[in-house]
Amino acid sequence: MLFNSIEYLIFFPAVVALYFSIPDKWKWVLLLIASYAFYMSWKAEYVLLIMFTTLVDYFIGLQLVKEKEKKKRKFLVALSIIVNIGMLAGFKYLNFFTQSVNDVLGAFNSNVSSPIWDILLPVGISFFIFQSLSYTIDVYRNNAPAERHLGKFALYVSFFPQLVAGPIERSTSLLPQIKKPAKFSEERLVSGLKLMLWGFFKKLVIADRLGMFVNYVYENPSQHAGITIILATVLFAFQLYSDFSGYTDIARGSARILGYELMINFNRPMTATSLRDFWNRWHISLTTWFRDYVLYSLPYIKGNQVKYHLFYRNLVITFLLMGLWHGASWTFVIFGLIHGVMLVLETITEKARTSLYDYTGISKSATLKNTLGLLFTFSLVTVSLYFFRANSLADSLLLLKNSLDFSTMSEAIAYILKSNEVLFGILMVIGLLIIEHMHSKRNIIEAIASKPIMVRWSLYSGFVFFVLLFGVLHENKFIYFQF
Amino acid sequence: MSRKFAIRFALFVGLILLINTILDQSFKAFSVHNILNEKMDEQFTEYNDTLKFLALGNSHNCINTHILDKSFNYGSPSENYIQSYYKLKHILETTGKKPEYLLLQSDLSSYGEKISNRYEYNSYWIKYIDYIELAKVKDDKSILTKWIEGKFFSYAGNYKDIQLSIVYRIKMKNIEMYNGYRPHRDYKNFADEPNKRKTAWNKAQLILSGDVYFDEAIKHYFDKMMQLCQEHNVKVILIRYPLTREFDEEEKKIVPADKLYTEVENIASRYNIYQGTFDYHNLYFDNPEYFFDPDHLNIQGSDLLTQRLKKDIEALESNLAEKNILALD
Repeated sequence: MLFNSIEYLIFFPAVVALYFSIPDKWKWVLLLIASYAFYMSWKAEYVLLIMFTTLVDYFIGLQLVKEKEKKKRKFLVALSIIVNIGMLAGFKYLNFFTQSVNDVLGAFNSNVSSPIWDILLPVGISFFIFQSLSYTIDVYRNNAPAERHLGKFALYVSFFPQLVAGPIERSTSLLPQIKKPAKFSEERLVSGLKLMLWGFFKKLVIADRLGMFVNYVYENPSQHAGITIILATVLFAFQLYSDFSGYTDIARGSARILGYELMINFNRPMTATSLRDFWNRWHISLTTWFRDYVLYSLPYIKGNQVKYHLFYRNLVITFLLMGLWHGASWTFVIFGLIHGVMLVLETITEKARTSLYDYTGISKSATLKNTLGLLFTFSLVTVSLYFFRANSLADSLLLLKNSLDFSTMSEAIAYILKSNEVLFGILMVIGLLIIEHMHSKRNIIEAIASKPIMVRWSLYSGFVFFVLLFGVLHENKFIYFQF
Repeated sequence: MSRKFAIRFALFVGLILLINTILDQSFKAFSVHNILNEKMDEQFTEYNDTLKFLALGNSHNCINTHILDKSFNYGSPSENYIQSYYKLKHILETTGKKPEYLLLQSDLSSYGEKISNRYEYNSYWIKYIDYIELAKVKDDKSILTKWIEGKFFSYAGNYKDIQLSIVYRIKMKNIEMYNGYRPHRDYKNFADEPNKRKTAWNKAQLILSGDVYFDEAIKHYFDKMMQLCQEHNVKVILIRYPLTREFDEEEKKIVPADKLYTEVENIASRYNIYQGTFDYHNLYFDNPEYFFDPDHLNIQGSDLLTQRLKKDIEALESNLAEKNILALD
């Protein structure tokens, strides 16, 4: 069941109505049933994976509290990691590793090859496994208490608004909200609906519209060159952002109506002035997950000293893994590698860059410095997206190469100028950036809320019909579902 | 929930529903595609002559009903076999009109996944299509939303149709249509196209699917259409419409034509009402001036093709008559 489907438009209000009409003590039961039903609408039997992860981590969590011996505690948390990552590896990465081994063996003219399995990737597996895993690690580190109520823990792992594409919530944030369900709030209902509407705008009007042009180019890489490829990649950056942040807004809006506050996952990432800044703004729940459970878990202190070369190595490893988290393909590995290496370079050249800015006088103008930083960061992110979006490594390299071929530029520009969808998509992106900028200066929602009722209603209803009229209503999947 | 909030919320929802109804009804009355399709339905209802030929298909189908006597061109833009089946079923089972021949479009693009998943102009098609049956055939519940869309949200996602309708309203004073045929492709010519190859490639990418070149649902409805014709004793002629050389070359890079037509022939030949395929796809390879774009004939091309089709049908009928005489002997 997609958020942008009629099924969800029936399912969600029904859940909300039931939720607020039953006693508090049964609310978790309703939400758990709704969450499993939501997941089962894709492939019913895969709900067993969520149940299995839930049971494993629930019992390990309880054991971790009982167990005082360090070695045994370590064993328990390792068991949780092995089971969870093993499941992820089996369903998501097995064929990738097998294919890679086969390719290597093939390169040496070996006749030995392992079979490729016909496995359908369970929707959102990387999200619910990471959410569940963070719980056992937090319990192990004594950062979170173990949950004794199996049903409520099961709901923490499977809460439907964020089940298939995040935000990846921590138990310390979501479990207390599950334990103490909020009463119905008019304010939350209105605010949640507004957030959902904004998410639908980003998904239906921007992301799915840009996706048409991006697919046209990326599905036929040999047919395009120069400006067409560059524009498609730039637009893909906005498609990805609108798609994923749109999903997050709908998820957060849905949760808010039910009385749950989910974490902010995006904070205007397209205005980042450095790569570090970008990752502090983009898919925040994933970045902080890798920071807390991978980056800082890898050794980088010897004696009492921070060993920077080890820290940089860890940074690259973390980003490699983060790339791989997105998908079982070498293109995602390269995507992660680019970001890891560039982050290291950005860190070690920081002093030199500051000196250069001082020497050239750039540092005197914050606007100029930020603009340069923004352009550089956006360009770098865009280049890495050649790997993120392309269907194969060969396609990414071909697209990168062809990007430098400007022989058919006038023809390409003529095509783009004739394409109403592309132009409208670009216009909407500009609109999105302007609104986000304005909102960062002054809360637009509050500003509208202070207007007279006729103005407010005109604006809200106008926006509803704008989304309905200009949205691409083909129930396109959210990009992050595949991860 | 406070009483004041409940009233306000209900009023707001009421306002949204009211605006939605206004937009939905306005779109249905204003959309050029709806108007054209409804006019075609109207003309079909008023058609009182003997119906010898009924042409079905999408915009590739350009049979000029002025030239082919006793014919009705009931094809509509982006129509696929699923829609054609339900329309044909309606014609044969409820209108009391029965054609002698069904001239059914059979292009490479008629069978693929892309045409199978095109659900445009639902507000028009809801009167023909059994969406519950279709959802079962396709094993896809989301198809039921197309009914909802057609019934209550016809305007949703259709801003381009509105844009087009405005242009049509300004340019077109009255709709020239005769027995379903509308001569309108005269404002550009493929011969003048500077980059024929690229244009053809773009179009081929848009409508053809290589992975699923014979979609299961299309196969199902094609078979059902043949069954329906068999039951009502309607002879079927499949027609491959003319294409530009560039488009044909591009589409053959995507779809394995020989494989597809072998499968089509296997299904069609199971029915004795099947009269064969008239393959015109390469008829005007050397005449780009007969085309409006890579895969649509213009008015001149349509006229020439219909004349050719008329002759071929005459030849087919005289052959059939000869066969019948021989059989009697």
